[in-house]
Amino acid sequence: MTRRFDPYPHVLRLPLILWQGAFFVIPLIFMAAMSFWLVKNYKLEPNFVFDNWTRMLGRGAFWDAYWITLWRAVLAGIIASAIAFPAALFMAFRLSEGGRRFALLCLIVPFFTSFLVRAYAWQVILAESGPVNAVLGGVGLVPYTMLNSGFGAMVGYLTLVLPLVVIFQTWSLAAIDRNLIEAAGNLGATPLRVLGSVIIPAAKTGLVLGAVFAFIMTFGDFVSPFYLGGSKPPTLTILIIDTTKSGQQWPRAAVVAVVMIATLFAVASAALRAAYGRRG
Amino acid sequence: MTDPLVQFRAVHKSFGSYVAVKSLDLDIQRGEFLALMGPSGCGKTTTLRMLAGLEAPTSGTISIGGRVMNNVPPHQRDTPMVWQSLALFPFLSVVENVEFGLRMRGIAAAERRERAMMWLGRMDLQGFETRRIDQLSGGQRQRVALARSLVTEPEMLLLDEPLSALDAHLVIRMQGVLTRLQKDLGITFVYVTHSQSEAFAMADRVVIMGHGAIEQIGRPQEIFRGPKTRFVAEFVGRNNILAGPVKAGVMTTAQGPVPVLSGDGPMEIVVAADRVTLSRDRPAGAAIRAAFLSEEFAGTGIICYFETPDGAEWKAQVTETQLAELHPESGQDFWLSWDPARVHVMG
Amino acid sequence: MRALGWVYLSAVFLFIFAPIAASFIFSFNSDRFPTLPLGSFTTDWYMRAFSRPEVWQAIANSLIVAGVTAVVSTFIGFATAYTDFRYGFRFKTAYLALALLPPTLPLVIMGLAMLAWLSQLGISGTLTGIVIAHVVLATPFAMAICRLRLSQMDPALEAAAWNLGSSQWGAMRHVILPFCAPAIVSALCLTAAVSFDEFIVAWFVSGLNRTVPVMILEILQGNVDPQINAIGTVVFVTSMTLVVAAQFLIFRKRQDD
Repeated sequence: MTRRFDPYPHVLRLPLILWQGAFFVIPLIFMAAMSFWLVKNYKLEPNFVFDNWTRMLGRGAFWDAYWITLWRAVLAGIIASAIAFPAALFMAFRLSEGGRRFALLCLIVPFFTSFLVRAYAWQVILAESGPVNAVLGGVGLVPYTMLNSGFGAMVGYLTLVLPLVVIFQTWSLAAIDRNLIEAAGNLGATPLRVLGSVIIPAAKTGLVLGAVFAFIMTFGDFVSPFYLGGSKPPTLTILIIDTTKSGQQWPRAAVVAVVMIATLFAVASAALRAAYGRRG
Repeated sequence: MTDPLVQFRAVHKSFGSYVAVKSLDLDIQRGEFLALMGPSGCGKTTTLRMLAGLEAPTSGTISIGGRVMNNVPPHQRDTPMVWQSLALFPFLSVVENVEFGLRMRGIAAAERRERAMMWLGRMDLQGFETRRIDQLSGGQRQRVALARSLVTEPEMLLLDEPLSALDAHLVIRMQGVLTRLQKDLGITFVYVTHSQSEAFAMADRVVIMGHGAIEQIGRPQEIFRGPKTRFVAEFVGRNNILAGPVKAGVMTTAQGPVPVLSGDGPMEIVVAADRVTLSRDRPAGAAIRAAFLSEEFAGTGIICYFETPDGAEWKAQVTETQLAELHPESGQDFWLSWDPARVHVMG
Repeated sequence: MRALGWVYLSAVFLFIFAPIAASFIFSFNSDRFPTLPLGSFTTDWYMRAFSRPEVWQAIANSLIVAGVTAVVSTFIGFATAYTDFRYGFRFKTAYLALALLPPTLPLVIMGLAMLAWLSQLGISGTLTGIVIAHVVLATPFAMAICRLRLSQMDPALEAAAWNLGSSQWGAMRHVILPFCAPAIVSALCLTAAVSFDEFIVAWFVSGLNRTVPVMILEILQGNVDPQINAIGTVVFVTSMTLVVAAQFLIFRKRQDD
């Protein structure tokens, strides 16, 4: 049976393929290819050498940045999950349906405020002479240096990731079948045991997803380590920006980017397997 | 009846490895009310959708008015359909919904408004034209859907289980509306349903489908009293089936020997539930023994369910008075008898 | 126990919203280095910020980029959502990955890749370059919103339109688009907000054509300047207006059906 060619489905399918192909997939492939190019006289020259790779991976500074970035991302994932969990538990089980929806709606607000402006606000709040230290001084404590440190960066990371982690956790906790919890209670399980053996396993997917997103966002964040962490030690994102902006060494920045993507991919796929794999 | 409106010839439709319709041959006459009936998954809806051009046959031909329609897209056919979900446009008012088909055919605003209003009047919907769809009752929506499909004055209307979402009392009323409408307009209705009562109440002819093929075509009475296959006998319901070899006027069945009037060799007979008589003592003639299970109140009487010693289910229809007299209790044995002259022989 | 829960939840929300509130408060505070107790009320920072021509230039750039991004990404997002809704095909998983993955890639990497590629194409440093990058980032949001709306649609609606004589394009125009209209407006608002707030990729790609957040970034690299609070508050109010409008349209429509 011969059918005439019908352009309709293609006209609707192609825009995404063309746009994301040309401006998402190809740029990433090009970046990976560029990591084998060389820069001569401030100009990119196509090549295929491992120069950038050996140079970057051979530096102690690169590995310092790598481990500090990885460590901070893991730490942020854990801390954010730990801080979010009691709040999510409360929202899921103690708030009314309407109250929970309103709270979740509020948590979306930060996504549409400039993270840069929020980081700047923290700079002011946490400053040596800022409001927090004014309060500390008021109760007779010595001013505490909070900026330009791991602590400052962590405040930034948490500002960035906490709303999302709370949302993920609340969703998965609110979706648990209440009968399951009551049944465990009826069987004589203490609240702590119910939490450990019923609630956490049942909400596993959301808990892991929350932590993974916290990891991904922290790993790729540039604002917190730069403006609140004092960029010492530099993270991979700072390394990319410095390498790109100052030295015109795009190929070397590309090496860092490729390493970051590989790391993210490995961590995310391992975590997702944990989240969706065997249950309980 | 030599010039059918629709002809299906060896139509076959498969979705991947799933065969929805196989070697379907069917003529639909002008002006008839045809019901396609069968359990879910029997291919009746696929058949209707192929007629509307929403599915293309894998092989075979479908012609309407003598023209092969296989490659004609749905919008170039005049086969309006009333959908199970009604599929009314929620963002349009009642009259805009009704006008839709005319608008798509490029008919001028004034004329299409006039024709739509005429149909709304005909459907007792005057005064509702500016309402939104969600402000209407189920029965009103039903009538809007009918008006929307009929406004282009088609030769044929397709209906896909249109009454399945309505309350029982509305179903009866809509059945009346539909049959009257079909007789008044004199056009062809092709009505898909899984409901025996709807099909038998409205249709001139009923097509029973099972597993993608036609099992039987006939007038409602023919099918009701004369099912050709076991599938039809079971689907049409309230039928008891006996099978076995016949020799010298006696059929040897799993329920024991029963007398039959004619035949020789293996045979299947159908005893309709309303032709079964119940008694506690063994009657003369054709009868089997079975244990009472339960009763069910149906519109036309009470259906009593029995189980024969070999595990077959039997049904007998009784009146309320009879039930009170017999006063059956679960597990009690009864004799189920019938007049051998009033059984139907299948095949 | 219950009171403790409220205190804890409030503390978490306080942490999340403190910088947003602080930036708003500091924008009206006379101190250059705000502390407690606060200084006096002033609109000075707004005056100063908005008397600078480059701020107005940046706002104009941001509006152009956000506007074009919104239209293009909503178009692509809608077409993608419809394709997902209506068709099954080989490699559909890859297709959907293309639609949904971009937001998971760190923006710094995205910025570098964009910079390198757009330089090759010769459009780095132009507003076009920023739009191209922002469409990549915003399309997934538009796609998600439109897909949600389509999942509320009776699939028979489209077939009903064909059945009543409209071609595929006719059904698109007379049924699918009207049905999705609220989602499309939401998507326009939301994608505009995404673009309006994005600064890292824009910073990599923008060159001299700065958008508002890129300008904030560059001011920040200098020193402490409360003008940032003023500009940030204006940006926040703009984005929130868009988001609230989007939410309103989504929720109002949901109550209809």
